[in-house]
Amino acid sequence: MIEALRKKAEELLKNKTVDVVYGYGEGSVPERTRPVFITKPEDVNKLTWNKYCVYNLTTYLKKQESRKLGKPAIVVKGCDAKTITVLIKESQIKREDIYIIGVTCTGIGDPPATKCKACDVNTPLIYDELIGEKIGNKEFSFEERYAELDEYEKLSEQEKWDFWQKQFEKCIKCYACSSICPLCFCDRCIVDKNQPQWIDPSAHPRGNLSWNVTRAYHLAGRCINCEECQRVCPADIPLNLLNKKLAKETEKNFKYRSGYNVDDELAMATYKEDDNQDFIK
Amino acid sequence: MDNIYTPYLMNISDVTDEAPGVRTFRLNFQNEDEGKNFKFQAGQFALYSAFGYGESTFCIASSPTRKDYVECTFRQAGRVTNALSELNAGDTIGFRGPYGNVFPIEEWEGKNLVFVAGGIALPPLRSVIWNCLDLRDKYKNITIVYGAKTVADLVYKNELKEWTARDDVNLVTTVDPGGETPDWTGKVGFVPTVVEETAPDSKDTIAIVCGPPIMIKFTLPVLEKLGFKQDKVYTTLENRMKCGLGKCGRCNIGCTYICKEGPVFTAEEISKMPDEF
Amino acid sequence: MEKTLKKEKLNSLITGLKDKGYKTIAPKKDNNLITLCEIQEADEIHFDHVQTNNSIKEYFLPKTEKILSYTIEKTKVSIEEPEGFAVKSVVFGSRPCDAASLPIMDKVFNWDCTDKFWIERREAITIVTIACDKCDSYCFCTSVCLAPDAKQGSDVLLTKISDDEYLVETETEKGEGLIKELETVFSEPPSGTPDRQVATVEKKFEIDKVKPWLDENFVHKIWAEFSTKCIGCGACTFVCPTCHCFDIVDECTMSKGDRVKNWDGCQFKMFTLHTSGHNPRSTQDQRWRQRIMHKFKYYVEKFDNILCVGCGRCSRVCPADMNISEMLEIISTDEGQPEPVSKE
Ligand SMILES: Cc1cc2nc3c(=O)[nH]c(=O)nc-3n(C[C@H](O)[C@H](O)[C@H](O)COP(=O)(O)OP(=O)(O)OC[C@H]3O[C@@H](n4cnc5c(N)ncnc54)[C@H](O)[C@@H]3O)c2cc1C
Ligand code: SF4
Ligand code: SF4
Ligand code: SF4
Ligand code: SF4
Ligand code: SF4
Ligand code: FES
Repeated sequence: MIEALRKKAEELLKNKTVDVVYGYGEGSVPERTRPVFITKPEDVNKLTWNKYCVYNLTTYLKKQESRKLGKPAIVVKGCDAKTITVLIKESQIKREDIYIIGVTCTGIGDPPATKCKACDVNTPLIYDELIGEKIGNKEFSFEERYAELDEYEKLSEQEKWDFWQKQFEKCIKCYACSSICPLCFCDRCIVDKNQPQWIDPSAHPRGNLSWNVTRAYHLAGRCINCEECQRVCPADIPLNLLNKKLAKETEKNFKYRSGYNVDDELAMATYKEDDNQDFIK
Repeated sequence: MDNIYTPYLMNISDVTDEAPGVRTFRLNFQNEDEGKNFKFQAGQFALYSAFGYGESTFCIASSPTRKDYVECTFRQAGRVTNALSELNAGDTIGFRGPYGNVFPIEEWEGKNLVFVAGGIALPPLRSVIWNCLDLRDKYKNITIVYGAKTVADLVYKNELKEWTARDDVNLVTTVDPGGETPDWTGKVGFVPTVVEETAPDSKDTIAIVCGPPIMIKFTLPVLEKLGFKQDKVYTTLENRMKCGLGKCGRCNIGCTYICKEGPVFTAEEISKMPDEF
Repeated sequence: MEKTLKKEKLNSLITGLKDKGYKTIAPKKDNNLITLCEIQEADEIHFDHVQTNNSIKEYFLPKTEKILSYTIEKTKVSIEEPEGFAVKSVVFGSRPCDAASLPIMDKVFNWDCTDKFWIERREAITIVTIACDKCDSYCFCTSVCLAPDAKQGSDVLLTKISDDEYLVETETEKGEGLIKELETVFSEPPSGTPDRQVATVEKKFEIDKVKPWLDENFVHKIWAEFSTKCIGCGACTFVCPTCHCFDIVDECTMSKGDRVKNWDGCQFKMFTLHTSGHNPRSTQDQRWRQRIMHKFKYYVEKFDNILCVGCGRCSRVCPADMNISEMLEIISTDEGQPEPVSKE
């Protein structure tokens, strides 16, 4: 697979289909990889693929420093590819402005990431070139998809509140969760807006609660469950639980799953005259 | 131990509207003893607080020769400056300072002075201009070139009149092309061009330049052409500041902390700094 | 002064500290993290780790702290000074690198004027360090003139000499005072030379070569090449024991307000943004350069110390695998260059 990946990258760079390939490279320690940006065909050997390729590289589509390198080809797993669908729907990128190198994936992380347990996109749903043997995507029931919420949902309202209070207390307001999120692309995040000051900038219980809740809400119906925010949180806050809960509510209420189909109407940004909820009328 | 972040409490004793969105406060110490012991020099700045909103950095715009009060002139730009402009005479604001270095006006004695200011950047110069005017005998010719976008944007209009009337000051005012009014008697043109036309003699002369980065960028070469050596040209730098005390870590350009080692620098010092303005 | 501490005496030590009015801060396991936090019992203390996830800094420069409170009444404002922030405490079991960060940062917090929030806490807190008996590939204390058993900043240094015994060495009067207060907990020093169990930390680069390179290479393409992957989150600066940048903001409800100091860092794009919209460090390579320059050049020139203790936290935590010692290796060895060093 690595060979096929490198060959494809070399070809894309050589015939100038793209200027840069965002891919995975060897990391600082054997248990890590790191994002690499290949601009020369002779450097394609820096590309790798293994179970440590956790990054959702689509996040670099929002960064001026990587965008400066020119038209990208981007290596994506099935979960990452869902981001692209959302970014297209939300008018952040045009399909033709990027080249998608999809890789088939049977799970990453050591121990394996939670998202991989009920993964239904082992083969990406959107790509220009597929690397690896095509795998028939599995199907899971609604319950199976949100199984990780089972324990949490058994808690009482009070217990849930206490749980999150305790978790959010740890937040240090580094904003790594939003910096890494490919769908947190606002140039000026709500936390940077101070007129009025929507979110207390301090990392005290009130400020942390409003930040974490707002971040999750802004991703509701959009989050594609790449789990990157949770991976990077230095305070080990189970952000994924929050995202997953919102995804579940969205699916339940709107029959919408983010990132699966470019033709689906966005759950949170679609106006319908005959909306079944009356607040909108 | 003293809390270095505690501001003095000041009364706003006077409010002057200078130009659209630009306002001057005259401030008096609520505690008289603090006022008596307070000293500063031209060029220094302070942090002014709108309680409930935060602190903002402005230079001290009044002259150290005028005791009993300090003045600041600010442009409404964001959270704190908007809150400040909601305040009226009689209200309380916080004042932390004076911070930073000073214009070495004693070294300038016996020399000609040329002040060049653009837009809202007259306040930092106003302190040193009045300082020198109040010690008028110590300096030779004093020239002031001041420009703004439009006539309405010129600040300290009364003082401009006063300086025009004085024959020991040569004031040249200018507005950007299109910014003039029918009754405008000053020049029309950008500050660097007007400096070139005014052509102050560089011999035995100190130039002090304050303004937006773009104005400074184009004025410095003009001064060089007129024969000013880099160490005879002074300017002030502005960087985002929070503490003003060399602690919060955000105001440095290379090794230089603007809040402590600045804001006053010679063009020569600036030319040695890394390009990160 | 030299003593020994038997592991079985830990209980008496922690209860002793409590009895003498100290708050105890020590490493504790919390899910996937090892956190330096307040503990009540000796058995909460976690020993078998390389490094705590949070650094010691938050006990001296908390992530958020009140520096002023005020009450607004019509046109008048009255100010109240915060009190009780410096609590008599012992940090037990922090690492030598963390302890070493403290005297380094004293310099900036004492520069011309004293930040009492830092200094009063420094006076109130006693540091009992445990020398590292293991390390990981991110540690590089030995490359920045420190060691896994460095004494800088510690009041007391504990070094493992057997599975159930530490050698206790006092480094300051404060440390000596603490040991004397709890004399009965400690035993006499061993006779003969104790077998100090100290990790071997590989030296990764020649620090002497770093600053001369930085002096010459403010403009260099490596800044951008190395940092394209950096996402500009502040994680590295927040976990770093020597990063001390902060923001000051007001938080107010109707008539009562607090002025607070919050952690901030040079990797955020908002950090230097002028109100006009102009930003002197508008791209991530400039911000990454600031981080390296500040730590290995600016601070050295100003305060004669490197602003890095080699704890490796920034690299462990970095979501994009930016590795600071790798950067320093590259710039300190010509051979290490991915491409020949050329200005561009
Ligand atoms: C030494 C020195 C002297 C100065 N002297 C003067 C003076 O005499 N008079 C004067 O008027 N000014 C002066 N300034 C500039 C002045 O400090 C700023 O204009 C002022 O602090 C703005 O503060 P604010 O609180 O109103 O803006 P805030 O709202 O607090 O801005 C805070 C931060 O939010 C961001 N921000 C806010 N609004 C925007 C926006 N629209 N777009 C992008 N980012 C934004 C910026 O990062 C800004 O730094 C001086 C500055 C320095 C450093
Ligand atoms: S990454 Fe974690 S610690 Fe950082 S702001 Fe987000 S939730 Fe808080
Ligand atoms: S919120 Fe988290 S899981 Fe969802 S898209 Fe963003 S980074 Fe991925
Ligand atoms: S170096 Fe890593 S931790 Fe630091 S800002 Fe960049 S991505 Fe975040
Ligand atoms: S820069 Fe990194 S290695 Fe150095 S002290 Fe900070 S966190 Fe530790
Ligand atoms: S590296 Fe950055 S955040 Fe850390 S102390 Fe230096 S300027 Fe501040
Ligand atoms: S303003 Fe805080 S260090 Fe200069």
